[in-house]
Amino acid sequence: MASTYMKSVAGLLAAGALLMGAAGASAAERVKIEWWYAISGKLGETVQQLISDFNKSQDKYEVVGTFKGNYEETMAAMVAAYRVNQQPAILQSAERGFMTMLKSSAIIPADELMAKQGYKIDWSDFVKPVAGFYIVNGKPAALPFNSSTPILWYNADAFKAAGFDAPADTWQGLEKQLYALKEKKVTDCPMALPGDFQWSLIENYSAINDQPFGTKANGYGGLDTEFVYNKTSVVGQVARLKKWIDDGVLKIAGQGVAPISLYTSGTCASIINSTASHSAVEADAKFKWSAAVMPHEEGVQPKNSTIGGAALWAIKGKPEEVQAGVAAFFNYVAQPNVQEWWSKATGYVPVTNAAYAKIKQEGYFKDHPTREIAIEQLSRGEPTDNSRGFRFGNHNQSTAILLEEMQAVWTGKKTPQEALDSSVKRGNEILRQYEKLHAGK
Amino acid sequence: MPASDAMRLNVGAATRPRFPLRLKLGSLVGSSETGLKASHFRRPWLAAGLLAPQLLILLFFFFIPTWKALSLAFVQVDPFGATMIFVGLDNFTMLFSSPEYRDSAVLTLWFTTVQCFVTLFVAGLFAFATDQVMRGRAIYKGVILLPYAIAPAISGVLWAFLFNPTVGPLAQMLHELGYAWDPNRRPSDALLLVSVAAIWKHVCYDYIFLVAAFLAVPASVIEAGAIDGAGPIRRFLTITLPMAAPTIFFLIVMNFVYGLFETFGIIDVITHGGPAGSTNTLVYKVYQDGFRQLDLGSSAAQSVVLMAIAVLFTVLQFRAVERKVNYQV
Repeated sequence: MASTYMKSVAGLLAAGALLMGAAGASAAERVKIEWWYAISGKLGETVQQLISDFNKSQDKYEVVGTFKGNYEETMAAMVAAYRVNQQPAILQSAERGFMTMLKSSAIIPADELMAKQGYKIDWSDFVKPVAGFYIVNGKPAALPFNSSTPILWYNADAFKAAGFDAPADTWQGLEKQLYALKEKKVTDCPMALPGDFQWSLIENYSAINDQPFGTKANGYGGLDTEFVYNKTSVVGQVARLKKWIDDGVLKIAGQGVAPISLYTSGTCASIINSTASHSAVEADAKFKWSAAVMPHEEGVQPKNSTIGGAALWAIKGKPEEVQAGVAAFFNYVAQPNVQEWWSKATGYVPVTNAAYAKIKQEGYFKDHPTREIAIEQLSRGEPTDNSRGFRFGNHNQSTAILLEEMQAVWTGKKTPQEALDSSVKRGNEILRQYEKLHAGK
Repeated sequence: MPASDAMRLNVGAATRPRFPLRLKLGSLVGSSETGLKASHFRRPWLAAGLLAPQLLILLFFFFIPTWKALSLAFVQVDPFGATMIFVGLDNFTMLFSSPEYRDSAVLTLWFTTVQCFVTLFVAGLFAFATDQVMRGRAIYKGVILLPYAIAPAISGVLWAFLFNPTVGPLAQMLHELGYAWDPNRRPSDALLLVSVAAIWKHVCYDYIFLVAAFLAVPASVIEAGAIDGAGPIRRFLTITLPMAAPTIFFLIVMNFVYGLFETFGIIDVITHGGPAGSTNTLVYKVYQDGFRQLDLGSSAAQSVVLMAIAVLFTVLQFRAVERKVNYQV
């Protein structure tokens, strides 16, 4: 078995060498670094570009990137592979899986790896909201890679036709505008519900309006944290969304249709979605599109939103030369000019101050004002315990439960309060399970 | 006629020189040597060799997964396998006390039963009609068999898109007819959509078997019925159907297996088990909890329950239904 496997690998390499001609000779000797990533479409193309740029920049390592499905699917593939020692060297994992990865015993903390391989990364240069999330006890566990935050995308033509120059700052004001869009027959779909609305419309809503999502500073204070979002203004927020859905103001895209495509195709006049939608919107939207910061509750001083997106994790159990390659790749990704290119190509926020300053200095934000919204919203005000971010064990699981309970609200099976109570109760069981498994780690 | 028997044996041996009679009779002790006893192998390695392929398949696709599921069902485990705590029956008690799991069980029973009998009924109608179709029978058959050639994921995407309440053309038609179709918000619509998609996909399977079974009914019996004055429907109900009973029994079992285990792809693409778990069958829930949420303990416990149901169900079906089936034609 092993020898046939080796033979087929050798065969592939030979075929690759033939295809690549002269470059092939050195490629065969390069150390292969496997990277599993989870973003697709335009963003996936940009990832492949990044990889090929890195491979061209040196001749010792060859990063091989594989798209493994969305974040959950990639994580599941990783878990299955790790158990049979077939894991990749680098994994892209979403912010939601942070605690799961951090305490998995399957990772090498980023600072440890970089120090061991002799690279110096100025960890203090990462922008505050990003550093606040990924740096644990002063040490970064993973390399922040694609960081985003939700912003409000709107169709400026449609808003203009209804007599508005821009969306309102508050949910109350926005509600009047969306209803006006519908009543004036400007559009049949004033707003689309994003697929990850729990992230934007519930978690980030809590952060911006300074409402606690869980106890112990949203989990930063320890594993004995408990969800409390059934006792905050989230209840009113869910009731508002339900009302909008019932009145046909907010539309659910459903399976088979990406919510963002309802916006880019002009079907729906607005959507609250990741700033990384820039690449899709810029490519596909054929109307005068624009974006604004997410709304907040009337009478509230809005706080910063929290980051989403993902980080790169170095995975244990790889030979020394592969680890050296991982470090070299991390070092490459953290370079200001790479950061600048990546941020411009995708719409993700620049994760280092150096890259941010560079982009700002050259006046990029003057020509692309919507590109700066995310970073301004992320660094608005002084972060509080409620707005710093979320550190919940197995947050994937509690998120799936929250989504299921929200669907029970949309279908009318439960009231917002009932659904949130049930979601908190089931979520807390998961937190207790996680605490039991990871006590003392 | 002993002479002709011997001749036939000779001819057989002569045309198959690679399998000399010595091996056939030498390695197998047949009834000729030991009277009425069942035959057995004199050389155990041959028996083992012949059994090995089947046993290996069972080992890799049944016994090892079963062992894995059993070993995970009684522990709580970190997804990466670093920490493991024995929790006894905790996973099972949590499962049975969870209203979501009970809802899923009721839904699965309902969905599987309806799917099984509606599929059979529709396929039966088509198969019955096959005999009555004179012109273009090949086209008729071809059209009915087409869905079987389409991958579940692709058919799922098509159904999801056609009936998407915001952009789907068929959903728009329903809206114009005054029906507030919305599978994202109305659990009954979601269940209906998944059921129709599942049935549509499986009708062709039942159809092939039923057409063959109906064709196997001797024409003489049907003609006798016709002479006695029975119309086509009467003949179908009293002659063809009873004689096709073994096939129908087989299809009932296969439909249940399909409904329980193989509708996964359709559900995954059309509804993801939603809204609010209204199309979350037991099998889909195992996948959701185990592979998307990485709760391996609970997922393993669910697999064990599912396996018990499958075993129990098959035994019951054979006991209860098979007795009433007449295999003699």
